[in-house]
Amino acid sequence: MEKNNNRLGWLFASPYLIFSTVFFLGPLIWSLYLSFTNWDLISPTYDFVGFKNFIKALGTPGVRSAFWVTYKFMIVFVPIVTAMSLFVAVIVKGLPKFKSVFLIGFFLPYLSSGVVASLIVKGFLSHTSPVQTFLRDRLGLDIDWLGGSFSALFVVAMIMAWKFTGYYALILTSGLESIDQEVYEAAAIDGVKDSQRFWKITLPLVYPAIYTTLILSFGATFGIFTEVYQLTGGGPNYATNTWQMEIYSQAFKNLQAGYASAIAIMAAVATFVSIYVIRKILEMWGKRNGWV
Amino acid sequence: MVGSNSNTKLRLSVRYLIAIVLLVIMVFPYLYMVLNSLADWSQVDRKLIPTKLTLRSYQWLFTGGETGITRPWIHAFFNSVFVSLISTALMMLFAIMVAYALAKLKFRGRDSINNFVLFHMFFPAIILIIPNFLIIQKVGLFDTYWALIIPKAMSLWGIFMYTNFFKAVPDAFIEAAKLDGASDFKILYKIMMPMSKSITTVVFLFLLMERWTELLWDMIVVRSDGMLTLNVLLSQMFGPYQAYPGPMYAGAVMLTLPIIILFIIFGKKFQEGMQFNLK
Repeated sequence: MEKNNNRLGWLFASPYLIFSTVFFLGPLIWSLYLSFTNWDLISPTYDFVGFKNFIKALGTPGVRSAFWVTYKFMIVFVPIVTAMSLFVAVIVKGLPKFKSVFLIGFFLPYLSSGVVASLIVKGFLSHTSPVQTFLRDRLGLDIDWLGGSFSALFVVAMIMAWKFTGYYALILTSGLESIDQEVYEAAAIDGVKDSQRFWKITLPLVYPAIYTTLILSFGATFGIFTEVYQLTGGGPNYATNTWQMEIYSQAFKNLQAGYASAIAIMAAVATFVSIYVIRKILEMWGKRNGWV
Repeated sequence: MVGSNSNTKLRLSVRYLIAIVLLVIMVFPYLYMVLNSLADWSQVDRKLIPTKLTLRSYQWLFTGGETGITRPWIHAFFNSVFVSLISTALMMLFAIMVAYALAKLKFRGRDSINNFVLFHMFFPAIILIIPNFLIIQKVGLFDTYWALIIPKAMSLWGIFMYTNFFKAVPDAFIEAAKLDGASDFKILYKIMMPMSKSITTVVFLFLLMERWTELLWDMIVVRSDGMLTLNVLLSQMFGPYQAYPGPMYAGAVMLTLPIIILFIIFGKKFQEGMQFNLK
């Protein structure tokens, strides 16, 4: 079976090759080129401006916020979604019946559009809503959720957590299920107490699955757009201004295609480097605890 | 093992209770959406559980309400169905073809293509949005269905999933079929596809859902009212139509329900497929 299928192989792979040339490689080079120009998306001519766009970007609040907001989202979103999905997975795993019904149920939020989630949250937190009325009349709390910098960030992070919990719980449940029941029995004989079971046995054994969900959730924070676009437009005062939001505003609202391309490249570099560093840290952390 | 029988029973009931409470909290936003879409307009966003129900919001939606356009919501719904189904079908077709080549055909350059797909997959896509938009504009596809379909016709994740799955299929199947004189097309269609039913369900549902809820791309490449997808229409009405929250919820139901129904229909196959790809 050492026959080479050169022709057929290239034929079958050709849709991808054509697609990636037209919509990936070409645009990549074009984007690099644009980032050194002052093109405004409309006029027929534009000038080559060197590194001006990059230098300008470093000093603007839009880009600075885009850089920091991603990490602020991580600090709020990742622990919440990890704790929630781990809790759901541990609870659901021990159910002898209807386990899949529960898992599918928890998974449903993942199917919602960011627009729909934003719509519900906006209504739920509107001035006349039952929640706000209750907080105001009973507890004397008048919170402008989307008007405060931290609360706006928190609301968006909670929407994301709502959306991803069921998905990650599915990954964690299958991680938990791959643990052999005999491990627990052996540990019980060795004198591991019930209260230590989770930390000493379950957590280390399920770490590969947790690692997967952590990488996914860190990665997800770099792609936040819809919820922020719908709910806050990046505000208040850039508190929720993500990379995607900043690029969208600069390119399609302010029509600064050259400048926006420079920001897009900075965003890509920040994303690449951050994910790489996070992976390394997680691997080191896992190794040091003897989990990997 | 430890404790009496009634003790474990009690523990299990507590576990079920927690699971149910958690599930209710998690699906509550959906319930809130459905209830508000059916609530009398005086109660929308004012009651946790509305006491007066009406179909007025849906009526408003299906007749076009107070906009000038006739039935924009129904039109947008069909745009979404059309665009999502065709894009997803193409994504599936190409993913299967390319994955078969990468997993089962021996040809020069295969490893390079494989590595390139991985690189492409992990590349932050945001950098490409401006030039891709410009390509669509330059070739005159702006504001057409093609703009919504062609750049979204390829899924790297789909290629990746199928490549992994096809690699796990023993070569012996293929060799046997070859001895019987089957062509590669026939092998793909008659052997590989029937074997990959559950993973096909997972890939199809994920891709369809992602395409169905896409916002940024769909928002920038079409402009005219008749071209909008449902997600974009809902997004555009978000601000100006705050005076009509009821119909907005009805629109949200219209956008959410089809995908949920599909997942529930394919629930079992979806679970099997997930189990495979999580291993």
